[in-house]
Amino acid sequence: MENENILCVKGIKKSFGGVHALRGVDLTIRRGETHCLAGENGCGKSTIIKVISGFYKPDAGTIEVDGKGYPVMTPAEAIKAGVQVIYQDFSIFPNLTVIENLAFNQVLANKKKLVNKKEFRRIAEEAIKKIKFDVDLDALVETLPVADKQLIAISRALLDNAKLIIMDEPTTALTKREVDRLFEIVTDLKENGVTILFVSHKLEEVFEISDSITILRNGQNVISCPMEEMTEEKFAHYMTGRHFDTQVVKEVNEEKYGDVVLEARNLTAPGFEDVSFELHQGEILGVTGQLGSGRTELSLSLFGLLQPTGGQILVEGKEVHIKNVSVAQKLGIALVPEDRLTEGLFLPQSIIRNITVSRMDKLGNKMGILSSKKVVEESAKWVKDIGVATKNHEFPVQTLSGGNQQKVVLGRWLANHPKVLILNGPTVGVDIGAKYDIHKLLRELAAEGMAIIVVSDDASEVIATCDRALVMQAGRVTGRLSAKELDTATLAQATV
Amino acid sequence: MNKFFKKAVKQTEFYVFLIIIVLSLVIQARSGLFFANNNIVDLLRSMIVPSIYAICALLAFVSTGPDVSFPMIAALSSYLALTVTNRLGLGGAPWIITFIIGILFGCLMGALNGVIIVRYKFPSLIVTLGTSSIFSGILLGAFEAERMDLPQNLAAFGKASLLTVKNAKTGLGSTLPMTFLIMIVLYIIAYLVLNKTIMGRGVYAVGGDEVSAERAGFNVKGIRFGIFVVNGGVAAVAGLCYAVMSMRYLPTEYAGGEMIVIAAIILGGTRMTGGIGTLKGCLLGTLLLTMVSNSLILLGISVYWQRVFIGAIIIIGTAISAIQSHAGVKVKTRLKKEAA
Repeated sequence: MENENILCVKGIKKSFGGVHALRGVDLTIRRGETHCLAGENGCGKSTIIKVISGFYKPDAGTIEVDGKGYPVMTPAEAIKAGVQVIYQDFSIFPNLTVIENLAFNQVLANKKKLVNKKEFRRIAEEAIKKIKFDVDLDALVETLPVADKQLIAISRALLDNAKLIIMDEPTTALTKREVDRLFEIVTDLKENGVTILFVSHKLEEVFEISDSITILRNGQNVISCPMEEMTEEKFAHYMTGRHFDTQVVKEVNEEKYGDVVLEARNLTAPGFEDVSFELHQGEILGVTGQLGSGRTELSLSLFGLLQPTGGQILVEGKEVHIKNVSVAQKLGIALVPEDRLTEGLFLPQSIIRNITVSRMDKLGNKMGILSSKKVVEESAKWVKDIGVATKNHEFPVQTLSGGNQQKVVLGRWLANHPKVLILNGPTVGVDIGAKYDIHKLLRELAAEGMAIIVVSDDASEVIATCDRALVMQAGRVTGRLSAKELDTATLAQATV
Repeated sequence: MNKFFKKAVKQTEFYVFLIIIVLSLVIQARSGLFFANNNIVDLLRSMIVPSIYAICALLAFVSTGPDVSFPMIAALSSYLALTVTNRLGLGGAPWIITFIIGILFGCLMGALNGVIIVRYKFPSLIVTLGTSSIFSGILLGAFEAERMDLPQNLAAFGKASLLTVKNAKTGLGSTLPMTFLIMIVLYIIAYLVLNKTIMGRGVYAVGGDEVSAERAGFNVKGIRFGIFVVNGGVAAVAGLCYAVMSMRYLPTEYAGGEMIVIAAIILGGTRMTGGIGTLKGCLLGTLLLTMVSNSLILLGISVYWQRVFIGAIIIIGTAISAIQSHAGVKVKTRLKKEAA
């Protein structure tokens, strides 16, 4: 008789040198369902995956796959039992062809010694057929888009007769369209009897794809229930253990706006054209649109990273030419980049250094030599003000979670007291608690009179923070929404 | 044919090949001596040692990172092989015996590299710089190695020729030594192992993504350790070939050979960050640099200017592959945008 539960783990405990990553986690997944495992960064999601797939040995607890108990799970046994993990990095070889990427696992498992090109190709063709994935098998994987790399990982997993596929934050690097395609494949797999464990902290996705959900917090179960019993508020509450007003309280009061700080007149640059807007003190302007709509280019051109080919930029009524970043900084414009990891932070360096780097010139004495006392004071102030969760601000930034890293980037630019703060995707990859904190912080800054531009494709973010929004499409402004018009329905309509 | 051409245009090797053609035509036009039979044989002769070294450099770069110890391993293992041959009175034995002794010593030294790099995860550049210095110290300090004549078996092997040509016009002659065959055999073996065995593909997989390789089931540590042991052995062969071709052992002539070899393979498309590089590229890169150093004399360019030329070619060659990958990225982002 087939067991109803494909996976049943009970009481898993695991600690790493005194840190309890898992304090008795239970996880039961029914055959054929799409189960979501959610939780904030550091809640133990990745650890439990590694326990299930045999990479970590738990300190206590039992693992049952398909009704069979595994006292000691090893990676090889997990694969044999039909458990496959699609890692965030997809575990691929960028320098090799699609064929080799697909075939290696099986060839190695069969302990083959020689390369048989025909067999490699046969395995690869069989793999991509399973999800009707159309790709040039002889292409080097590094030349493919991220979504294709993921599909390679998925089809490879299916080769080993996977019964349970664990997807670790699979949508992180995908565009909306690619996410839709992934979800189609997930639905297909489900119909073919494959069970999916979907690890994510993104609310919309979780609600869209899952049949049931388990939420972890601090290495413990908080709740397991069918999706129908879950609401957005409950989700946020269970994830963080905090109570949120569903959204940041937003008081839009146009009378409170100050003078126009930044104005664009018919601004044109590679990627967008003919964009005009005014930005007042104390106002948050949203710029939204799909990837490739020109929203990112617009933010770059306001910060001197992309040269306009036409139109004007005015700061406090005077026309300016923002040739480069240092001109932008002198004008009081700051940009928090989209990819904070590659563009905004020095990951191995300490939090202090990361916060104060944009203010080095102001923290020195007359000779231009840095005063370490001033540096420490300055950064301590910001760590406190923006609420970076850390024990020691001498720690490298890479030890922080995504949300806290984003706060450090914010802190750096705020330390300069900018007049205009531009944020590109301020909460991409950030968990729900930190997202709330960042939104709150933005509202507070605006209330103090800072002018802010939020560039984002996250509708809930634009609604939560912005006073007004520009909707961009294919490089042009196609809609202007006032605070009253800003809701999910109008935004969805405008961005189609 | 069209597909083949399209694929070729994407490869760095293709551009190196073009440069070689152009350069050879230029030299031919200016001197009329490039395509002379003795010049071609000279060129092949000069390629032998650097192209064997190039295998070491390729394996190290593709799987782990730079290895700069091969010239000193060549020097020390050749010395030991010759000394052992002389002491044991093996001068009458076939030449291959001396080579095998050398390979064993070379593998031993390579194993030392391998242990330190794999076990302690130290960067290969630093480790091989260190061992290189140690080997050189042992050779010149502890053993007080000096130039010496070859034992009988190697001397005979060195005198044997594969091909002798004489230019009818200039009266200049040139000989292709038997060591050329050694190089060919090494390349054939390396080709078969790298392309036809799972282990060989593993070398590329490990260089592409270490963690993925481990998850897929490759023995990452084993492969890396193996590479350095093999490198030691291959370096020893190169060292002995050099001695055979010079007809005597010259301990001080080995040091410094690594840079031009590394330049050659990078020129041939080997990626410094690992995972990419071909034997074809090694041969073409070596051929190009050898051509430059050999043939500029034919153009009447002084030896010092040759260095400038070699430097310029290295930079231009590397720039081409860098620009190529840049162009690739640009195309990718454009496609991505169109898709979105």
